[in-house]
Amino acid sequence: MKRSRRVVLTMMGSAAIGAVSIGFVPRRGCGPGDSMVPGPDGKPYCRPAFGGFGGVPRNFHGHGHGSGGHAHGGG
Amino acid sequence: MQRIECPERDDWRATAESAGFDFHTIDGERYWDERAYYAFTLDEIERQIETPTGEIDAMCLELVGRAIGNEHDLRRLKIPEAFWDLIAESWHRDEASLYGRLDLKFSGSGPAKLLEYNADTPTSIFEAAVFQWSWLEQAIERNIIPKRADQFNSIHERLIEAWRKVGGTHPLHLTGMTGNTEDAGTLAYLADTAAQAGLQTTLLDIEEIGLRDDGRFVDLDDREIELAFKLYPWEWMFHDAFGKNLKAAPTRWIEPPWKAILSNKGILPLLWEMFPNHPNLLPAYFEDDPRAASLGTSFVRKPIYSREGANVALVSAGMTLVEQEGPYGAEGFIRQALAPLPNFSGQYPVLGSWLVDHTPCGLSIREDENPITGNTSRFLPHAIL
Repeated sequence: MKRSRRVVLTMMGSAAIGAVSIGFVPRRGCGPGDSMVPGPDGKPYCRPAFGGFGGVPRNFHGHGHGSGGHAHGGG
Repeated sequence: MQRIECPERDDWRATAESAGFDFHTIDGERYWDERAYYAFTLDEIERQIETPTGEIDAMCLELVGRAIGNEHDLRRLKIPEAFWDLIAESWHRDEASLYGRLDLKFSGSGPAKLLEYNADTPTSIFEAAVFQWSWLEQAIERNIIPKRADQFNSIHERLIEAWRKVGGTHPLHLTGMTGNTEDAGTLAYLADTAAQAGLQTTLLDIEEIGLRDDGRFVDLDDREIELAFKLYPWEWMFHDAFGKNLKAAPTRWIEPPWKAILSNKGILPLLWEMFPNHPNLLPAYFEDDPRAASLGTSFVRKPIYSREGANVALVSAGMTLVEQEGPYGAEGFIRQALAPLPNFSGQYPVLGSWLVDHTPCGLSIREDENPITGNTSRFLPHAIL
């Protein structure tokens, strides 16, 4: 037999997986990429820089895959 | 090899959606298509697809080994010089690859021919591993296909094995363009297989990767990203703002940086140069190579970097027959011998031959009314009869 004996999904089709919460981590000082933001307790916190991957408009041809006109990284 | 029309399961859409396959229909057009299936003999699968897939992968690894230390090759492949060390180090550290997909022309008559290698961010793995497998099981049960039917598809089990080998005990982040339904679905499936291998997984959008002041990539909870699967191509990473931080960050990436050499149509002329007249290769040259003239006036013109058939042109007797639109081509083009796809009832199929951990283990088929397979090409299941 050249196919899998058993194919079971344990996560797909169910509730959202891998939800990541945004948290603040207290730091003593901010590094060059970090930004100083007020935390929930009023003390300053440093957040890492985000958005350094992606975010570049990538034009794709025609009416291909991609809901809402989103580009996609697969090929 | 045959194309056989068959009845659809009347509940296939509900089945798809309950499995999380939300992108079975895209922008109102069929993507998953079970109005027909492709049938192969076991000999065709084993001798003409599986074995050559392994050979082509081995040739590609030999190519990487050569190109890594060859400035001329790296320049021809238009790999930015700033990343040559990153790529070489990942190769010398033997950083593991999870998967890849060869696109092959095959009709049952004559050897399969390599059209290109999706080595970095191949998609359609969920459809290939899971949905066509469940189609086969149900189609047999419902007498849609013969009971003796099999399928070249052990992708799911091999992915779980591969994650155990690749992932060890590291937490795994999976990242990509999660706003795209298809990519989100692919990431979710790979996360599922990784979880079944015992890895702790976290999904995040590519834009949610952070850079900490110690030079490490982190997630939104400021946890270091030690091992990351990305459904986002290396050539985009290299040009993004954080690209310059890749070398210093200790993150291990899947696919590893050395795969950037193979996810490049420039490998087609390099393979032909290294393995001339190999039965599973088509003659190919860089467009600025004088030897390209040997292809004559009929050839396929492909950008060194492009995706989903964009900017590919079929030229016959000097006339462009078909050309796909797109934004690619700035890095230059290659020319490959024209090998028209077979026509099965007005449909042109391309075979996707999957490797997991360098083991050929599955087949997916995309077909289109257009002889250039593209973004809107439909996925059809297959069976071994």
